[in-house]
Amino acid sequence: GRRPSMPAVEKDARSGIPECFSHVPMAKRIQTSQAHKDVHPAVLAVGQQMATFGLKDSISRLQATMLAFRKVIESYETPKGNSLSRHFVPHVLNPQIEYLTECRPMCFAMGNAIRLLKAKVNKFDINTPEDEAKEELLEWIDYLLHERIALAEFVIARNAAQSINEGDTILTYGWHRLVEKTLIRAKKSGKTFGVTIIDDPYERGGQELAKRLRQVGIEVLYSPNLGGLRPKVAAASNVFLGGEAIFANGSLNAPSGTADVAMAAMNAGTKVIVLCETINFDRERVSVDALTYNEIDPERNTADNFRLLFDNTHDKYITGVITEFESGGGNSPAQAI
Amino acid sequence: MAPSQATHTPSLEKLVKSLKGQSLEASIEALIFLLKRRQVKGDECAQATAHILRQVVAKARWQDVDQLLSQIQSAGSRLARAAPHEPVIGNIVRRVLGLIRDERQATIPIRPSPAVLTSTAGLQVSKSMFNLLSVAEPDGSPMTGGSTPLSQATQPTSVHTLRSEVMDGIEEIMDEIGQADDQIASFADIQIHPGDFVLAYQPSKTVERFLIKAASRRRFTLFIAGLEPFTNGTSDAPYATLRKKLSAAGVNTISLSSNGLMAYIPRVNKVILGAKAVYQNGGLLVDSGCCIAAQVAHEYLKPVIALSPVYKFCPEDPSYDVSRGWLGNPSTYVSYGNGPEVDAIVVENTVTDYIPPELVDVYLTNLGPQTRHHIASILADHYKTEDLAFSMQLD
Repeated sequence: GRRPSMPAVEKDARSGIPECFSHVPMAKRIQTSQAHKDVHPAVLAVGQQMATFGLKDSISRLQATMLAFRKVIESYETPKGNSLSRHFVPHVLNPQIEYLTECRPMCFAMGNAIRLLKAKVNKFDINTPEDEAKEELLEWIDYLLHERIALAEFVIARNAAQSINEGDTILTYGWHRLVEKTLIRAKKSGKTFGVTIIDDPYERGGQELAKRLRQVGIEVLYSPNLGGLRPKVAAASNVFLGGEAIFANGSLNAPSGTADVAMAAMNAGTKVIVLCETINFDRERVSVDALTYNEIDPERNTADNFRLLFDNTHDKYITGVITEFESGGGNSPAQAI
Repeated sequence: MAPSQATHTPSLEKLVKSLKGQSLEASIEALIFLLKRRQVKGDECAQATAHILRQVVAKARWQDVDQLLSQIQSAGSRLARAAPHEPVIGNIVRRVLGLIRDERQATIPIRPSPAVLTSTAGLQVSKSMFNLLSVAEPDGSPMTGGSTPLSQATQPTSVHTLRSEVMDGIEEIMDEIGQADDQIASFADIQIHPGDFVLAYQPSKTVERFLIKAASRRRFTLFIAGLEPFTNGTSDAPYATLRKKLSAAGVNTISLSSNGLMAYIPRVNKVILGAKAVYQNGGLLVDSGCCIAAQVAHEYLKPVIALSPVYKFCPEDPSYDVSRGWLGNPSTYVSYGNGPEVDAIVVENTVTDYIPPELVDVYLTNLGPQTRHHIASILADHYKTEDLAFSMQLD
């Protein structure tokens, strides 16, 4: 796991970053006292958790952000002579977003949700009563959390579990919520299959997954790193991967090492299935390598010790994507948003 | 990684020092002990094997060539069995066996029929042809060859000369092992160009020497990959001396604390790997995780340059164990103190990877850069056909 310890010198945290990665953003801790005075306490807390990677994956970050925004909306009162639809976004919402982005670059799901939220606010008539508007926004957030996260998770896990056959060996990389849900669901439906977990020794999420799968009685083969990957992917029937985002060109943004596993699997003739909620899809941006959209691990950001958090899996290494709306090739979900 | 390196270097030195005072049997046992505990590993295995075989020649009881061959074979196979993941041991044994066979032809007059004489003294090719024909026994042991009875008369003197000739030969092999890294490094500036971004996966001594040599002639940037996650910034940084030497020469190094390498490969121009062994099909035995470096490079059409001295070229095909990777101790990764749920999980910590030949572009040896197609002739130059079966005697 990640220790919440950061270099003491905050100011030039970026000074050690090698030149060829100097364009890549990095999360940073901001003293709560240094934050903008308009930042809501709930957002402050979320920002801190993001900076320290207490909230790590895109969906938990989205969830926490939306719940914090809920608090922001609840405590919002339109100043005299203003209307919510004109005042809320520039004067209240934007400082929150700026702060969060400063703590850690926004994930694609947050970007999508915030864009939707802003569009929602802009649609209000200038004369909409404040209470009515607030109520509608709160309801919309609840709807988003329910439909795009909870329900999506359920549907994806169900569809993906159905694709597991009796006697399969499923290989996965690290830990991803959807993959765990899928495997446990398939087991509970009575299927017998084995799971190979390839872990990232810098995250060790796979170890926790291994224990939880073992507890429901799934046979687990655990490999602590990418050593011996070629024979392992060749022996698997399917590879299930989760990710942070899928770009308009169908490539997957996911924890570093995912692309290696997908590539090795595809070359060994093993199917690579990506599980991803549509809220994580970005239909505007295109990424062909890992150096376009990425983040530097703030604990390893010098020449002595450097790490990118994500990599980019080209869609040629992806057999199919399972979303809550449809399943298809790497490219088709781009149209599904 | 660092502490184990610190302890196993003196182990080999200590062993070599102890050789003089010890009985042969004790020396062999001492090396077997070190091999089994993996305290002598990698490049050191070659050197250590040569030392022990030299002791066998010096101290073992043997009256003629065939007895010497079988002494070497039995000592050699004990060593090789102690470390089946170090094929280089078998290579050195084969080299020494070949050496003895050469000496037999050179020093012992086999009451020559002129035809045979010309063929042995002639070209390399005809020599191995001769060997091929002279060993018809299917079990591969030339014990009953015709030379022994014929040469008995000359035995007393020839044992002495043979012993010193063979020991000289072994010393030459030891010199070759000692010089190989420098010879490989001398090709560095051909392979590395100014402005390159070079990825080295867990640089071995051979690779380090190569990079330092390259740094003296070229400005490039080095990515070091495959570091253990436990060595964080607070303790001694891994490859500190390498990095210091490179940075003194103006070469930047970036240590990638990363599992995956796909993220970085677009930046990289070439990948440098140190091989633990090269098989006759061109496949490589390498440290665990190294294969992914070769695979990502191959996907992005970046050259993969494998550094390997000739003595690491094995005249055999990779075994099943090799191609799936040798397994190591998993407890560094998972603590069994974690309770019964961990007990039921199969933990595989592979310590070696196998890289198939199609992922390797250049084999850079002490004899210069080679391609896959040259491997057969390198093997033919260095090993005798009779000794190819050596590894099969292991089981």
